[in-house]
Amino acid sequence: MITRQLSFSGVIFLFIYTLQESFINQVRFPGGGFSIFLIFALVWSALSTPEVGAITGFSAGFLIDLSPSSSGPVGQWTLILILTCFGIAFLGFGDDKSRGNPITIVFLVVAGVFLAEVSFLITGALLGVNLGSFTQILIILFGMTTWTLLITPFTLPIFSRLHAFTFDTGSRI
Amino acid sequence: MRYGGGNRSRLLLITLIVSSLFLITLDLRGVQVLDGLRTGSQTVLSPFQRAGNTVASPFKNFFSDITHLGRTRNQLEQLRAENFNLRTKLINRKNADALLKKYKTMLDLAGTGDYKILSAKVISQGSSQSFSQSLTIDAGSNSGIRRNMTVICDSGLVGVVKEVYPNSALILLASDPSFRIGVRIAGTQQIGILSGQGSRKAVLQLIDNQTTLSVGDVLLARGSQLNRPFVPGVPVGTVIAVDNSAGAVAQSASVKFYTNFSALGVVAVVVGAPKTDPRDALVPPKPRPTPIPTVTILVTPSPSPSATK
Repeated sequence: MITRQLSFSGVIFLFIYTLQESFINQVRFPGGGFSIFLIFALVWSALSTPEVGAITGFSAGFLIDLSPSSSGPVGQWTLILILTCFGIAFLGFGDDKSRGNPITIVFLVVAGVFLAEVSFLITGALLGVNLGSFTQILIILFGMTTWTLLITPFTLPIFSRLHAFTFDTGSRI
Repeated sequence: MRYGGGNRSRLLLITLIVSSLFLITLDLRGVQVLDGLRTGSQTVLSPFQRAGNTVASPFKNFFSDITHLGRTRNQLEQLRAENFNLRTKLINRKNADALLKKYKTMLDLAGTGDYKILSAKVISQGSSQSFSQSLTIDAGSNSGIRRNMTVICDSGLVGVVKEVYPNSALILLASDPSFRIGVRIAGTQQIGILSGQGSRKAVLQLIDNQTTLSVGDVLLARGSQLNRPFVPGVPVGTVIAVDNSAGAVAQSASVKFYTNFSALGVVAVVVGAPKTDPRDALVPPKPRPTPIPTVTILVTPSPSPSATK
């Protein structure tokens, strides 16, 4: 059972990661665009237990760190996403009322993307990563949050079905 | 019921956090294994990026095209009248012509500067989620590209080769916040340091505070020792605003790059430096103002009625 879940999750994660790196990154969206992979990792965590959320964060963060366009040291995104994904999974877990509500999940994902980006900025500043002008940072933060708010409602049903299929939970949003 | 956590859950979380901190420490200490992982991931991704580039090319600049829709409305109306095949052919032809024009201008620039260049296609734009500005090209170490080589396009400096893989290379754009380049002002030869700001604008800090800057001054790359990472003479940008605040240690200015980083399709990597510094030979010509047509009306005075009387 665990082997099936791990292999399915691995294939889905690698597919979305490749989609992000080879296709989504090609299109120049205004305001910095969005990261479908980040949205996917956060939705996956919001629908999972905190343990699975933390492992999801570790895997997703490590893949983002491996991206050649990632500017920080390897491990920075891993650390940020472990905490963000665990936090999101922890907030939603055990409360079926909020977990089954798409609006709550969209809110959690948007807040998660914003927090992850802000955490990246703070840890980046501590680790000596050059991050650009304040205006540019604000534009990207605002742009990514807005894009995430627009994209997540459309992708949530697909991701939730994939999650239900992988974990055999049967419950969908 | 709210999740209370457990020993197993806490242990897992702590293990993962410690692992990530371990990774950060290893990377900051420059352990080669992690660089190898990044190289491996880029090698695996580059065929997908090439395929993605082909698929995304028709609507890559969709959002920027929307903002210029008004300008191309007449052209769109003409195209609507033609059938689908003809339109596809026209788009492909236009794309090829634009690329050809870019290649020609790039070769002219390289020829004037006596640079030996290797042209390459952009296959991926870096993600902005990490606040960095980079792109990936379809040529790598197999084509003779090495780290710290200058990258140019038809309008001037693009950036520098940051990482090289067998069949692709990662270019750090001049607009990246970590990008620094020594520049000199064409004509006066004053020198300064230009820093990327994450957009098409950059900040110039002059070394000598006795010198003066003016709007419209052209900046060229000063060149590095042994021409790596920068070859001399490459046009970088033009001064658009000067900061004349009293008490500043060094004079600074806002600079606009010649290169439009969001519309890069082909670039050239300078694989051979010029034997002599091209000095100001590559300064782009100033744009000519469009002449305003003048209308001259000749009026022949008719004899006034009073004069005839």
